[in-house]
Amino acid sequence: MHQPKPLRLAIVPALALLCGIASAAPVKVGVLETLSGPQASSGQAYRAAVRYAIDQINAAGGWNGEPVQLLEYDNQGGPAGAADKLKAAAADGVQLIVQGASSAIGGQITEDVRKYNLRNPGKEMVYLNVGAEALELTGEKCNFHHFRFGGDPQVRTKALVGAMKQANALGTRVYAINQNYSWGQDMEKAIVDNAAAGGYQVVEKTLHDVNKVQDFAPYVAKIGASKADSVLTGNWSNDLLLLMKASKSAGLKARFGTVYLDQPGNLANAGDLAIGHFVVQTFNPEAGGAEGERFVNDYKAKTGHEPVFIEPQTVFGMAMVADALKRTKPENGALNVNAFAKALETTTIKTPMGEMSMRAADHQAQLPMVVSTVTKDARFKVDGTDMGFKPVKRFSAQEASTPAQASCAMKRPG
Amino acid sequence: MDQIIVSLMNGVIYGLLLFMVSAGLTLIFGMMGVLNFAHASFYMLGAYFAYTLQGVIGFWLALVVSPVLVGLVGVVVERFFLRRVHHHGHAHELLLTFGLSFIVAESIKLFFGNFPVDYRIPASLDVSAFSVGGAQYPLYRLLMGGIAIAMFVLIYLLLTHTRVGIVVRSAIYKPRMAEALGHNVPLVFMGVFGVGAALAGLAGAVAGAFYTTNPNMALELGVMVFVVVVVGGLGSLGGAMLASLLIGVVTSLAVAVDRSLADLFALFGAGDWATGVGGLMTLKVSSLSATIPFALMLLILLVRPSGLMGEKG
Amino acid sequence: MKTGLLLILAGVAALAALPFLLSQGLLNAAIQMLIAALFASAYNLLCGQAGMLSFGHAAYFGVGAFGTVHAMNAIGGAGLLPTPLMPLAGAACGLVFGAIAGWFATQRTGTYFAMITLAIAELVHSLAPHLKGLFGGEAGMSTMRMPAWGFDFGSTTQVYYLTLAWVLASVGLLYLFTRTPMGRLSYGLRENSHRLRFLGYNVHGLGMMVFAISAMFSGIAGGLQVVSNESANYVVFDPALSAAVVLNTYIGGVTMFLGPALGAALMTFFGYAVSDLTQSWLLYQGILFVGVMMFMPSGLTGLIGTTGRLRQRIGLSKLLPVVLLSIAAALLLSMGGTFAVELLQRVFSQDYRALARLDPGNPWPPVTLLSRAWSPASMATWAVPVVLIGAGAVLAWVGRRSLNQAVEQTVDQGAAT
Repeated sequence: MHQPKPLRLAIVPALALLCGIASAAPVKVGVLETLSGPQASSGQAYRAAVRYAIDQINAAGGWNGEPVQLLEYDNQGGPAGAADKLKAAAADGVQLIVQGASSAIGGQITEDVRKYNLRNPGKEMVYLNVGAEALELTGEKCNFHHFRFGGDPQVRTKALVGAMKQANALGTRVYAINQNYSWGQDMEKAIVDNAAAGGYQVVEKTLHDVNKVQDFAPYVAKIGASKADSVLTGNWSNDLLLLMKASKSAGLKARFGTVYLDQPGNLANAGDLAIGHFVVQTFNPEAGGAEGERFVNDYKAKTGHEPVFIEPQTVFGMAMVADALKRTKPENGALNVNAFAKALETTTIKTPMGEMSMRAADHQAQLPMVVSTVTKDARFKVDGTDMGFKPVKRFSAQEASTPAQASCAMKRPG
Repeated sequence: MDQIIVSLMNGVIYGLLLFMVSAGLTLIFGMMGVLNFAHASFYMLGAYFAYTLQGVIGFWLALVVSPVLVGLVGVVVERFFLRRVHHHGHAHELLLTFGLSFIVAESIKLFFGNFPVDYRIPASLDVSAFSVGGAQYPLYRLLMGGIAIAMFVLIYLLLTHTRVGIVVRSAIYKPRMAEALGHNVPLVFMGVFGVGAALAGLAGAVAGAFYTTNPNMALELGVMVFVVVVVGGLGSLGGAMLASLLIGVVTSLAVAVDRSLADLFALFGAGDWATGVGGLMTLKVSSLSATIPFALMLLILLVRPSGLMGEKG
Repeated sequence: MKTGLLLILAGVAALAALPFLLSQGLLNAAIQMLIAALFASAYNLLCGQAGMLSFGHAAYFGVGAFGTVHAMNAIGGAGLLPTPLMPLAGAACGLVFGAIAGWFATQRTGTYFAMITLAIAELVHSLAPHLKGLFGGEAGMSTMRMPAWGFDFGSTTQVYYLTLAWVLASVGLLYLFTRTPMGRLSYGLRENSHRLRFLGYNVHGLGMMVFAISAMFSGIAGGLQVVSNESANYVVFDPALSAAVVLNTYIGGVTMFLGPALGAALMTFFGYAVSDLTQSWLLYQGILFVGVMMFMPSGLTGLIGTTGRLRQRIGLSKLLPVVLLSIAAALLLSMGGTFAVELLQRVFSQDYRALARLDPGNPWPPVTLLSRAWSPASMATWAVPVVLIGAGAVLAWVGRRSLNQAVEQTVDQGAAT
């Protein structure tokens, strides 16, 4: 298994600098993730996917005859650490920053990249956001040097509602329960916005503290009292698991529509109580056909596990980056980041899920979505259990797309 | 009405769980003056030991053996770590336990991975006991509450009706005198620390199956346990029970209250003004349910610092 | 006294020369180290000097940070408060909040005082996510440094000098404070507050003022962090930050004035450097904490002091081998421990276990460590850390024995004469 050594990789750019300006300068990609501390599980998943993707780029020849270099930075779990490591990455000559595990850190990085680019024209950096899904990153905080390859609450909810309605699992009374921060609030708004299209009424909306609530029984009691047919939630990690466990114990009959049920460990922990609930994903191996299976097998051979959760969208996002890199000619042997960004804006690739492209107006990728349900007769079992995710409805990128936000006023370089 | 009953029951059970973890901490705190930051780590260790043993010896035996193992860990911590730094002062002991909590959390991540592990209630116990107002009430919750109450009664009887208990209580109250009278006070300290850790381990083994077992368990429960100990009174077992129940019930009932300070002001006709002010005024009590225990802790510390049932001093 | 002054001047000169010696990335790390050093020195005023152990000091750091970010957004770096003077906003907020909190907290002493500070910090930490106007939600509040006084404050070097100037001024003021009558009285608070009360001093008021001053300088540190990072986030109120400053202070040593600054600088650099090298750096940090608390209870500066006194007692010739043995033992133990932890981490990781399952014929595929492949099934792999740790333990035991012998010899000599 290939594990690049950060220390060794850090020496290489220094040597490269010493070798003179005339020789080709390799592209440096920095993954700036939460690699330690309480939220390390997601950060490490992003890192694994990025490593796989960079290996693929280098197997196809790298860029300008040189392999692309990957440097890894641990943001120590918070925005302050991310700001520090971003400056270290800039000092190391990194031009492409990849991150996805937290919208708070994403917000910090996009602002820091914007200010750095303002102060250092000619030495710009690009922030490739493979997972931070808060709306404001392509809204008020949208920025020419930020590209998002994941979904956002509007896209996710639209797909989830569409599929659940078709499967007759939505009902007319929907309960919205979310975490009380930007992602959860954006999800709540999206659930309310989709009420007309979904033909339902939001009977109650609840926001709760993030990762602090141990006992969801009071919330489940509220859901039961409201007689909701289904519950739509953007909760992740413990908040989702505990909510579902509490609802099972109380015998709640409502169907759950979630965004993050496919996080590793969730199905194993939830057991049979997860059966029949829905999740909106960016990739499902069963829906990907032969291409999808090939991707899954290759990923498993190289990393030791199947691509789950946010790993596929990261790989596809980096595939778009690879395509843009191919179409960007070197200037003076180095990568002109603005030219790369312009190429990325017009990128379209084929993924096992369908066509994926970039929208130039707000730099939100238009990606296909699939809504799946947990069942025992899925082809690909998950977490070592006998259950898996079976696709219910696929949405092409166009069907899943939602309009760009009016609050995005992107300033383009001249 | 049913809602309130269910909320009350949930609050009581959650409070009893908090009691199981904080009972040990309050005894240790009262006796040694050690603010043991690693206590929540014992809770986490209990859950992970039980998870590992469940596959080998079955659920019930794992529930019995896991606290014993955690108790042994506690004894080792007291004998080889805490005792060395005892004479340097409270700050050093505290920082040592803080470092230990790091070590335990990171070691668990090393061996078990970052994601939650599959520690579940056995199917035979995963049934509902009765239904209240259309919702089921799970049997396992009642079991958790029962274990906690049994534990409380057992320890209370042990402390008040046995010789060992009298020696422990005197060591808490006047360690020097107890030592002068010939009792082996260091052994008592070690024993209480071990038993305290075992109690937290039992809580982890029982609750880890019901809630999730993941490497962040200690962080999630950690601060709440301190709040309970402070509100209840350092060293008082009855105070810990009272405080845990209070906090459990208040947290549970607060979730159902969707009102805010602005609504209170509306009763006096100043509702619009309050909503205009925003900020603290429009925060709903239900979204603040996790903050209320800290406000309670601050209040107790200012008004009655020895806690609800602690000794005046 | 003279040597002390010379050392300080040399230190300041070295700090001033750093931008010419370090890369931009390391220079940014140096800025963070300076800020941590100031925070720890401010904390030591309360903890080491006045003897009041506070567990929630991150609250004042955070309040100063948010005060500064609001000021930067409101005033824009010109006019009343140009960018270089922005940390004054942090100082003002820290002072006011510290005075209020201090008035409550200093009503009790000892453990209760610590609990009150913890409660205040946790209350702020819980409320902050809900008060979006003040604390900006989970993406925090963002701002930008505006040009002032002829500098544009765009480069890290300029920010470094600004931070250095503030930190030197603040640490200097803190030191001067210890020389004032009130500073002396704060030592009295630590030693015997009953006696102070009997002597007629208002102990509560004194405690409150010391608390407020400590909070003020913490607010300056928070403001400096905002000036450097151009953003503030409510995660700054996390209990981990409060715990970190206590740890940094004690690792550096509370007895010497510059001890906490040294401890904070070292631990910040440790976090910065090691976090990129290995996934288990938090485990190493925890082991470091426990090790320091058990074997170096008076901190690093205490260790230097102890070594100095030992040199006077047993002479340089006997001391040198002990020191060398200790350093060698520490190196061997850490190398062996690190090797063992890294090996275990790789063997127990999910990916390794999945790879092992893939190929039943080869249940223990080799792991990569230090650019070499090691097979977990072979004894040689495990022998490496065992041998290293064993050798380290032996050297430590030999060092301790020779130290004891040297001390006994001097005692015997002293008794003989």
